[in-house]
Amino acid sequence: MSDEEKKVTIETGDAGKGSTAISEGANTEELEERALSVFSSDRNEDIVALVFCLITTFLVLVFTKWLV
Amino acid sequence: MSQIKEQMPTLVMGGSLLMYGLIAKSGALLSMAQYLQTHKTLDLQITMTLVVGIIAIVGALFNTTRKSGTTKLDTFVLRPLGGIVLILVMAMAIRWYAEPMMKIISKNLQPALGFKIYKVLNLNYVVLGILAGVVLTNTWGIPKFAAEGVKCSRFVLKMGVIMLGARYSFAELAKLGVYSVFLVGFFVLGTVFLVLWLGNLFKQPKSMTGVLSAGMGVCGVSATVAVAPVVKAKSAEMAYTIGTILSFGIICMFVFPTIGKLAGMSPVQFGAWAGTGILNSAQVAAAALAFNAVDIETLKVAEIFNITRVLFLPVIVLVLATWFGKETGQKLSFKSVVIDKFPVFIIGFLILFFMSSMGLFSPPSHYKGKYIDVSYNDRSQVTPEEWETLNSAMTAGEFSGLTEKQLEAVTNLVEQHQIAGNFDDRADKKTFDSTGRARMTQLQGVLAAAKAKQVKLSADVKSAIKHAVKQVKKKSKTVVTLTDFMIWFFAFGLIGLGMQITKKAITQAGGWPIVMGVIAGITKATLSFFVVLWLVKDVVLN
Repeated sequence: MSDEEKKVTIETGDAGKGSTAISEGANTEELEERALSVFSSDRNEDIVALVFCLITTFLVLVFTKWLV
Repeated sequence: MSQIKEQMPTLVMGGSLLMYGLIAKSGALLSMAQYLQTHKTLDLQITMTLVVGIIAIVGALFNTTRKSGTTKLDTFVLRPLGGIVLILVMAMAIRWYAEPMMKIISKNLQPALGFKIYKVLNLNYVVLGILAGVVLTNTWGIPKFAAEGVKCSRFVLKMGVIMLGARYSFAELAKLGVYSVFLVGFFVLGTVFLVLWLGNLFKQPKSMTGVLSAGMGVCGVSATVAVAPVVKAKSAEMAYTIGTILSFGIICMFVFPTIGKLAGMSPVQFGAWAGTGILNSAQVAAAALAFNAVDIETLKVAEIFNITRVLFLPVIVLVLATWFGKETGQKLSFKSVVIDKFPVFIIGFLILFFMSSMGLFSPPSHYKGKYIDVSYNDRSQVTPEEWETLNSAMTAGEFSGLTEKQLEAVTNLVEQHQIAGNFDDRADKKTFDSTGRARMTQLQGVLAAAKAKQVKLSADVKSAIKHAVKQVKKKSKTVVTLTDFMIWFFAFGLIGLGMQITKKAITQAGGWPIVMGVIAGITKATLSFFVVLWLVKDVVLN
C-alpha cells in the first residue's frame, strides 16, 4: 500500500484481539474470504482440489480394481 | 526455544496418535471397538493414526529447525500442519468414538423415547463435526498453532463435493424417466426461486439467500458447499443453512409418514413425495422406512427422486451464479457465467459422475456402489445347510401360503442354489438378468410377507432366503472406498467450517433465514403433496 492511499483501522477477531490498517478502498469481502483460505484465489483452490481428487480416484482404482 | 514451544502441540498430538496406533495394533482396543461396532475399521484406525502421527512429528521437528518462510511448502504444508493434525484428530474422535457412542445411547434410550434420537436429530458426523468446531471456537477459541490449518477446511470440503459424483450414475436417472425428472426439476427450480424472492422480500443479504435457496431446493450440505463460492457465502451463512435444512428435515421425518398414511398414499407416491420434499438424503430414507418398513419400494423410489435432486446441482450453480452476478450489478455474458464464474470443483463433480456412469468404478447401473448381479457365481450360492433347510421346507409344504410367482422364485432358488435367471436364457444376458431380478423381488416379497405375519415361515428358512438375496447384492469396493474418502473430506471440512463460526456471526444473521427456510419448506412440501397425488401413479419407474 502506498502512503498516499487512505487507510482505515479495522478490528480483527471477535475477542477484540487486535486491529489492523487496510486501504479505505479495499474489497473487505474478498479480503475476508481470502483470510479463510490458504489459497490466493477460488480458482487455484478448485484446481488443486480437483487434481487431488483425480489422484485419489486413480490410486483407489489401482488398489481396488486394477491390481486386484 | 520459542520455535520448539510453538511446535509442542503438534508434537504432542503426533506422539499421542503414534501411541494410539501402537496400542490399537497390539489388540488392546479390540473389545472396546467391538462394543462400539467399530472393530471393522481397526485396520484403518491403526494405519491412519500411525501415518498422521509420523507426519505430525516429522513436520513439527522440521519446523523447529527453520524459521517460517513464504515458500509454497511453508504456505501449504508446514504452517497449516498443526491445524490439519488438530482437525484430523477431532474427525477421528468423532467418527470412531462420538458417532458410535451416539448410536449406542440412542439405542438404549429408544424404549423410553419410542424413537432413535440419533436418527431423529441426525447426530452423525455432519452435525457432530460442525458442533465440535463451533464449540471449540466459541469457548477456548482457535489455538494459534491451528489457525492456518483451519483455512484448509473449505478446500477439503470442495474435495468432498467432487467425490460425491462417484456415488451416482446416469443409469439411475434413466430409470426414473423424463416425466419424473421434469417433476423434480420443477420443484428444485421452483424452491430456489421462491427462496430468492423471499430473500428479497425480507431484505436479507444476497449471499445468505443464495446459499439457502440451494440448500432448500437441491439437497442439504453438498448443495450449500457447492453454491457458497458463487454467492460469496460466509461460513456462518453456510452453517445457518445446514442447520435450517436439518431442523426442518427432522420435523418432516415425523410429519410426512403420518400425512402420507392419512392420505392413503401408495408406496410409490410416498416415495416420490419424500424424495422431492425432504431435503437431506438420510432423512429421506428415514421417512420412507417410517412409512413402510416392510416394502422397500418406497425407499427405492424415494432414493431415486433424491438422486435426481442432487444431480440438479450443477444446473443450480449456474442459475445462482447468473442471479448473483446480475444482483450485484455485474455485466454478464454466457462466457462469464459458464466459464469464468462456474466453480471448477463442480466440473470435478461432473467428471466423477461421468466416470461412474461409464462403469469405471462398478457396473454402470450401480447406486452408491451397490448393484445386483444374478450371474452364475459360487459366491452367490446359498450354503449347503441353507439349501437343505429350503429343500426340506419345500417338501414339507411350508411354502403353501405364497403367491404363484413367489412360489416359482423359491422353487427356482432350490433348483439353482442361488437367485438367477433361467438356465436356458444364459446366453441372452438381458433376459437372464431381468428374470433373476424379478425372482429377487419376489423373494424380498416373501420376507416382507413373513415379517407382516401374512405367511408362516421358520427362522431358518427366512434366514436362508435373506442370505440368498444378500448374495446377489454386490458392493463395488471402488465406490465404497471413494465414499469413505468423501466422508473423511466432509468430516474434516465441516469441523473446520464450524471453527470459523462465532456466536456473533450467528446472531447477526438473526431469525429471518429460518423463517424463509420454513416458508419455502412448507410450500414445497404442500405443493409436491398435491402434485404427487395427482400425477404420480403406481408406475413411475421405467
